[in-house]
Amino acid sequence: MADSGSERAVDARLSGFATLPWRRIILGILGATIAFVVVVGSYRTLTLPEGERFSGDFWVDQAVNGLGQGAILALIALGYTLVYGILRMINFAHGEVFMSGAFISFFFADAYQKSGLLNSRPYVALTILLVVSILASTVVAVLLERIAYRPLRNAPRLVPLITAIGAQLFIQNAFRGFFGPQPRGYPRPQILEGGIEILGIPVAKVQLLVFVTAIVSMIALQVFVNRSRTGRSMRAVAADSEIASLMGINVDRIIVITFVVGGILAGIAGLLFSLAFTQVQFTMGFRPGIAAFTAAVLGGIGSIGGAALGGFVLGLLQAVGPPLLLTGFGVPSPFSLRDAFVFLVLILVLVFRPGGLLGSGEAEKV
Amino acid sequence: MGASARAGAIAGVVTIFLAAVGLIGNFTDLNLIGTQVTFALLMIVISPVLAGYVVTSPRVEGGERVAFTLGQAASAGVVAGALAGAIFGAFVVFVDVFGVDRIRPIFLNISPTLMDYLTQDRPAIVAAAIIVAASVAAGAAGAVYRVLPDGIRKPLGSAVWVTLLFGFLQRIVPIALDQLDIERDWLYSKVTRGLTWPGAILIALVTAGISVLKARQGETLRGAIRGRGNGERRGPLTLTPLSIVLALAGLGAVLIAPHVLGSVIAEVLGTVMVFALLGIGLNIVVGYAGLLDLGYVFFFTLGAYSLALLTGATLNTFVGSTDPAVALDLNFYVAVPVVIVIAAIAGVLIGAPVLRLRGDYLALVTLGLGEMIVVLVTSPWLGPLVGGPQGMLDITNAAIGNFGFRDPKHFYYLAFAFVVLALFVSWRLANSRIGRAWTALREDEQVADAMGVSTTSYKLLAFAMGGAIGSVGGALFAVKIGSLTPASFQVLVSIQVLGIVILGGIGSLPGVIVGSLVLVGLPGLLREFEEYRLLAYGAAVVAVMLLRPQGLIPNVRRSRELHEEDREQDKWAGDVAADEHVAQGPSPLGEGAG
Amino acid sequence: MKRRPWLTVVATVAVLALVASACSNDDGGGDTGGDTGTEPADDEFGTIEVAAGEPINIGTLLVISGADAALGQDSQNGAVLAADYLDGTFDGTDGQLLGHDIQWTHEDELCSAEGGQAGATALAADPSIVAIIGTSCSSAALGVADTVTSEKGILLFSPSNTNPALTSDEAHQPFYARTAHNDRIQGAIVAEFAFNEQGATKLATIHDESPYTEGLTAAAAVNFEAAGGEITVQEQINSEDTDFKPLLRSIAEGDPDVLYAPVFVAACSLIMKQAVDIMPDVTIMGSDGCMSSDTIKNAGDAVDGVFLSSPDISVFQEGDFYSNEFIPAYQEEFGSEPTSVFHAHSFDAANVLFDAIEQVAVENDDGSLSIPRTALRDAVFATSGYEGMTGVITCTELGDCATDVTIGIFEGPNWPVEGGAKPDTPVYSDTKSLDDVL
Repeated sequence: MADSGSERAVDARLSGFATLPWRRIILGILGATIAFVVVVGSYRTLTLPEGERFSGDFWVDQAVNGLGQGAILALIALGYTLVYGILRMINFAHGEVFMSGAFISFFFADAYQKSGLLNSRPYVALTILLVVSILASTVVAVLLERIAYRPLRNAPRLVPLITAIGAQLFIQNAFRGFFGPQPRGYPRPQILEGGIEILGIPVAKVQLLVFVTAIVSMIALQVFVNRSRTGRSMRAVAADSEIASLMGINVDRIIVITFVVGGILAGIAGLLFSLAFTQVQFTMGFRPGIAAFTAAVLGGIGSIGGAALGGFVLGLLQAVGPPLLLTGFGVPSPFSLRDAFVFLVLILVLVFRPGGLLGSGEAEKV
Repeated sequence: MGASARAGAIAGVVTIFLAAVGLIGNFTDLNLIGTQVTFALLMIVISPVLAGYVVTSPRVEGGERVAFTLGQAASAGVVAGALAGAIFGAFVVFVDVFGVDRIRPIFLNISPTLMDYLTQDRPAIVAAAIIVAASVAAGAAGAVYRVLPDGIRKPLGSAVWVTLLFGFLQRIVPIALDQLDIERDWLYSKVTRGLTWPGAILIALVTAGISVLKARQGETLRGAIRGRGNGERRGPLTLTPLSIVLALAGLGAVLIAPHVLGSVIAEVLGTVMVFALLGIGLNIVVGYAGLLDLGYVFFFTLGAYSLALLTGATLNTFVGSTDPAVALDLNFYVAVPVVIVIAAIAGVLIGAPVLRLRGDYLALVTLGLGEMIVVLVTSPWLGPLVGGPQGMLDITNAAIGNFGFRDPKHFYYLAFAFVVLALFVSWRLANSRIGRAWTALREDEQVADAMGVSTTSYKLLAFAMGGAIGSVGGALFAVKIGSLTPASFQVLVSIQVLGIVILGGIGSLPGVIVGSLVLVGLPGLLREFEEYRLLAYGAAVVAVMLLRPQGLIPNVRRSRELHEEDREQDKWAGDVAADEHVAQGPSPLGEGAG
Repeated sequence: MKRRPWLTVVATVAVLALVASACSNDDGGGDTGGDTGTEPADDEFGTIEVAAGEPINIGTLLVISGADAALGQDSQNGAVLAADYLDGTFDGTDGQLLGHDIQWTHEDELCSAEGGQAGATALAADPSIVAIIGTSCSSAALGVADTVTSEKGILLFSPSNTNPALTSDEAHQPFYARTAHNDRIQGAIVAEFAFNEQGATKLATIHDESPYTEGLTAAAAVNFEAAGGEITVQEQINSEDTDFKPLLRSIAEGDPDVLYAPVFVAACSLIMKQAVDIMPDVTIMGSDGCMSSDTIKNAGDAVDGVFLSSPDISVFQEGDFYSNEFIPAYQEEFGSEPTSVFHAHSFDAANVLFDAIEQVAVENDDGSLSIPRTALRDAVFATSGYEGMTGVITCTELGDCATDVTIGIFEGPNWPVEGGAKPDTPVYSDTKSLDDVL
């Protein structure tokens, strides 16, 4: 295996490539283009002639929409961030955990609507639905951990990631096999119909419920993680699982608890989503799942505040971003580019600020 | 016996799962052998069989490998089977008592058809008892199978699965036989569409015979092929006369396959080749350089649409076809290199900012890129260029002179030529300095960096080369179909290609071919299972990762990387059976790297 | 030294592969190896020989699995019922055609181009297939199934492809025809209803990533503008999205009178529900992709006042054949009411096909049949004034057999599906032919 002259030349060329400031150049151009689009696009959108411009109400409504969606994303994102903190792994199948809760609770909701319980005793019905959703999500989360992730805890990082993808496909299609591909209408109790006005802004009752529940859950989570003993153990394991184990913490149990907590949050999100959109389908977990872990990474993965912030920011971005930035350039149907837009934001954040919004600003190498 | 009970319980639950998902009820008339062995029956007994098989895997006690005796195996299998049967039987009784009509609105596939098949017009309790008996037999069979002496086990095993395979291929083999004008009604019944019993028995005997012969002559034959005696370590490929003859014969078989097997199979194989090409490309990114790329559909789409635009395809609009905003009219063979260059440039431009991110982030970003291009290609914004939802038409048929390649049989050869080229390129890369740099990069990036390997450049190189090959795959796909609709370009394609690479064996080229044959070829031939394809994918990926992460045809170096603990040589290298490697539980201290 | 030979070997193999394909023989009749345009109309495609006592093998290529399975299965059922009716009654037993039974070979098109190609290849490889009823989805036909079958001279007769491109000058394949309407007609009638009946002057549209919906909205927009209306915006969604509120809010800014969103059940239920709060004064319209009992279940009250366009069969039911004979037979045979709208078109296609076979088949002395492929195609294309269940069938040169198409507009909840309120007659109905529309 003697070095031949040609091989060395190739290598020299490659090293030379690295030392040239190509990366800086490309990044620079990228950054400039982004800045241009953001600034100029927004300006042009906001200064369109009177007949074509969006009204002030429009932006407010979009912001409210976005925050509502963001609340659900934040709840799901918390599940991702918790698991990541402990296992350093993105649980791709978490979106399906969310879907499970929503879908299973549908059958109960449907029954309650038919029997009238949903409207005669809405609080009772809603509580039961919440419990069912949480239970279903948690069961799926725990099963996931037990069957697919635990045996692979010491494997190279690639392996559990791929397993998660397989698990996501499997769970999604299992539900399809069980219950069919058709979307189901999720009933909403009368008390949640309609809207109210807060500070002059029209807000749907459901949106308000989503928002409040999400905030409350996040606060509860924060208290749990920071004040309780289990929470302390979770933080210890997230920091260094070897030492935590040496300190007497049962790492396996803590991991299961993490998945349980993630499952609870996903179950809550599932019910809120179902009440907000009144429709469930076996595919409903995939996109919110991706959006949620985009949100988690955006905010700074591993941090609860980051997930929450990322969720709301992402929600706002996808509601306000496309019309604000793209209409000015005459791009037809800006919302059709919404998903692309969100991912572009993610890529940019990761490129320029790899730790996410709340991260330290430096890449965590390898 | 606890282990047996647990295995049996899991088997029972799995069978209920299979019933609920529809794999039993929807296939009660898929006859494999005669009318008795249906796919539904297979699904009912397969879990107890596997449970019995798993339960009797040799344990390690006191540093020694302890196998089961026949009696122990039988009793373990019986216990597992009994419990599995009891659970599934209880399920049948429950559904019968509770009423199918009340369950069906929720679980669609727990249908009257299913119940009729399971109860066979008998009262539910009797049916449950029969199920228990059948499961006991199945469990015992699975358990006993494991402890049979090799001389009986291998022929028996081969006979069973080959016969079942022929049963599955009931849509393909009879047509192929018809094409060759071979009488086939004695083998495949025109009424049941499956194998006849005489035919099945014949196949089983023949397979068993071959297996026995292989066992007797196999070692010497293998040695003659490889040019060495038994027990020597494998070296690089050596050419012996016998191996050349075999290789040429194999090549000949591959080349005449479409004419022998007919255009249906040729069409499926064409798709297999396209995906194999994609797999070869992704294998460079994931397998050689260790970068988890979840957005490979990016290059696939880029290649397909670039080719279309370069070779004068038209946009399909509701008023007819129009020309894209930018288009050239090049010959296919001129366009392909251009596509490669475009993809490589795109790979570098995208890779440069992105490739220094860590594994999980990189996965997410590439996933995003895949999504982005799918969105862009469908969007109204780029509609004037690539046609939006209506897509593009009139893709070139890569004609040489008057000879077009869109006919399945002709496309097969075109794809084959490209696959061979890609295999060659990939193989050379793997064994070159670049390949070694990738290995260093993959195993420990920091150390590689310290040793002077410019990690970013090599990552970029992998990304760009993998992308270039992927784009050729996309271009071929465009030629094959002749038109482009965005529906063919989904993020799911990335996952499928990843599945091919994983199942076949990360970093292994023969593995990619096998992976493509299994994950693309089988569903293409067994079209009645289309609904369950993704479910099977997911299960397969998880199973592979849990049981055999090195894939079906492992790359020896990668399999060592994937198994930290000391293990024997893997099966593919021809030595001791490695599928019974000693499995240790996860250490609470997170021992070992990774 | 060992490395060098491999390069030559590989290159040789690659060249060998290409040469091998060039020297190969093809099976099947008349295949020149290229796939350019039209062939001269002599029976170079050969004839199908049906031996005495053997059935006439007819293929179906429809979407029978996945989310759209109801659509394809429904069309398949319609065709199968036509075989039953061969003897003049729906009695559960098939009639015979020229003394031969009808055998069906069903294939799945998967509603995708690859699926259409694979299914068409599978059917085309079978020399006993006389013709194919299919496809369901236009994307499975356009450029794929229609080309594969035309190359082998097999008639592909679609009961539900509505994409205009399939019968356009540039893209039409010689052996392709359809009994389903051309979407340019449906779009035009929707525009007409919006402009004339609803008095709308501003129209907004939403389509998704499928060619079907995009074609419909494009057709509606073009006709609406020609009538003098204004298109405020044409938006595109992804059919798997759930949150349409930002989009709808954006559309509301343009203050349209009518929103035409001919998308499928999942998306259109959500749009209807979400539009109630965001744009309560805007009339929502959709098309048959949305017309399903699932929509009524999912959207509940939100379907009130939503107008859906769909082929209107009721117009031609003079003798009530459809409601009194066909539907009961359908229920008897398949255990439910029709799950989609194209069963009638499929029934008609099958019957036109049977008639054509009868016309051109040569009955040999030994009891066998010879069916010349091109003649069969010509006979179908020559169909004129045939009174089918869906209307009068007259085929054009470009394969549009539904020349005078009646589209009805149905107001929710009075839709002709299970769960819809009665009476489920259209509130507006119009008949147009291709020449009337843009």
